[in-house]
Amino acid sequence: MLMAATQLFAQDNGQAQTNEFKPMLEHRILAGFNFGATAPVGLPNTIRKINGFWPEFSPSLGYELSYRATKKWGASVAVKLDYKGMGTKDEVQYFPTIITTSDGGRFEGDFTGKNQTTVRNAYVSFPISAVFTANDKWRFNLGGYVAWLFSSNFYGTVSDGYIRNGGSLGEKIIITEATFDFGTEVRSFDCGLQGGAAYRVGKRLSIDGNLNWGLRPIFPSDFKGMSFPMYNIYLTLGVTYKI
Amino acid sequence: MNLRKLCCIAASIGLLQSCIKDAPQNPEADITAFTVPKDQLTGDVFIDQTKRQVRLYLTDTAFKRGIVPTISVSNGAKVFPAPGDTLRFDSTGMGITGYTITPATGGQGKTYTVRVVGTGNWKFGFERWDTVSAEGASWKYVNPLADDGRNVWASGNIGIAITGVTEINDFPLHISNDAHDGKYAAIMETKPGNALSGWMGIHLFAGSLFMGNFVTDYLLENPLKCTQFGQPYRGMPSRFTGYYKYQPGATFQDKDGKPVPGTTDECSIYAVLYSGTSRLDATNILTSNRVVATAILTDGTAKADWTHFDIPFQNLSGKVVNLNEPVMLAIIASSSKDGDHYRGAVGSKLVLDNIEIVNE
Repeated sequence: MLMAATQLFAQDNGQAQTNEFKPMLEHRILAGFNFGATAPVGLPNTIRKINGFWPEFSPSLGYELSYRATKKWGASVAVKLDYKGMGTKDEVQYFPTIITTSDGGRFEGDFTGKNQTTVRNAYVSFPISAVFTANDKWRFNLGGYVAWLFSSNFYGTVSDGYIRNGGSLGEKIIITEATFDFGTEVRSFDCGLQGGAAYRVGKRLSIDGNLNWGLRPIFPSDFKGMSFPMYNIYLTLGVTYKI
Repeated sequence: MNLRKLCCIAASIGLLQSCIKDAPQNPEADITAFTVPKDQLTGDVFIDQTKRQVRLYLTDTAFKRGIVPTISVSNGAKVFPAPGDTLRFDSTGMGITGYTITPATGGQGKTYTVRVVGTGNWKFGFERWDTVSAEGASWKYVNPLADDGRNVWASGNIGIAITGVTEINDFPLHISNDAHDGKYAAIMETKPGNALSGWMGIHLFAGSLFMGNFVTDYLLENPLKCTQFGQPYRGMPSRFTGYYKYQPGATFQDKDGKPVPGTTDECSIYAVLYSGTSRLDATNILTSNRVVATAILTDGTAKADWTHFDIPFQNLSGKVVNLNEPVMLAIIASSSKDGDHYRGAVGSKLVLDNIEIVNE
């Protein structure tokens, strides 16, 4: 597809080109921060209120190799070190959760109360894009990514509420404050779509925005601590430097 | 550009907020309060959320005339039959025996039976046992009944079920086939904690058996408040008697689960008489100024054979029973005497049979 498009475009624009264009390789350093959320797509009705949301320190650093086949079209592949993190404070009602422990223990219950969660996962990611260079200033990319987790944090507290053993008809247990840590449950592989734009501000420097939309829930399907699938949805804002 | 970034972030937070859906309807179906005038009670009403049972401790007059309770339920839930009718317990009519609560969601609810717990006799042979479970639950444990079937005994078993223990004999309190008299006795066995209890800092489950009720509400906050000790009593008890066997476990461990060399576990068996109608718990059963008299087994060491105990109640200095005032009596036994502080030896076993409170 990509090749076909590239060729088509090459033919269309072949005549119009004033300067002779030679296909070439380009190298860029990518640096920025990730802003976004590890969140469900559409909030379930058990989440009643979001009292706070903040990005965690989530740097993104990488190297991109692109091949510019024509003046306008090309393709790129990159390797990035991506931290994806956020914090949130919310209030939930009748929120189902199942906690399993290493010794085979299991607790199932519905929680009503306050929750604070911090997520900070680090990935080595490989975005692959089709690149469209619109003009001297703008450059757009669209494609997908695959990523491998190398460090994970998913922890928090529940407070000011209660949990009901086994479900909403079970025994009530008051929770003034308790902690949870699902860090070890996070899946080691993530993939999704990504796309963005860069705007050149210097000879080699561009400002870059890139949205990364995870399509694979970050927890495996047999994990029931959260009753809904959560995805990595992050916007990388930063700079690219052409070397 | 920075401003634009900020706008982007602000907009996405705004989007998240606007995604909040309508509140779910309340799926809960509790009797949250069952109120009876205090002068009709000999002990506070207890709502057992596991067995779905309302336990009433009534004066003779209230028992004869019936009561009109005030019932509170979960928000939006409905009660059937509607409260306001008199509950009668005499032999003349069938009357109301329970209440069905339907949650606001209209789905499956709960049916609570109402039981009057009489003071009855105070001899316990541990021959009758009740198997306790919940709909859809994987756990099952046993609890002794009085010889006439009254629900007067409780243990920490439900709390342990919540941490994920499922099999009857894996619970600290279960049935012993080694009995002093009859077929069965009660055995308490100190068990190791599990991963879930470890999160709560609990590395040991001492076996316990006590007269009263267990509430789960404070399980995480303050487990010692879960044990509601005592049942209404009439008169003045003179002696606490019974038979027991005790075998301490091999290694005594501290609260953090670390072995303490040179310490041997001991059992505890005692009875406490106190004034009032509301129950004392493990935080204050021996320290409350409502305590009138106690009968405490002083020798908690190993006993390989059935050993008889006969302990006179001793009034605390200056305390006497006013026969017009309501009093409650609690019997408490544990396979690890510091079990309330999560210290003891895994494997400590206390077998208890044929206990009795001898009245004056």
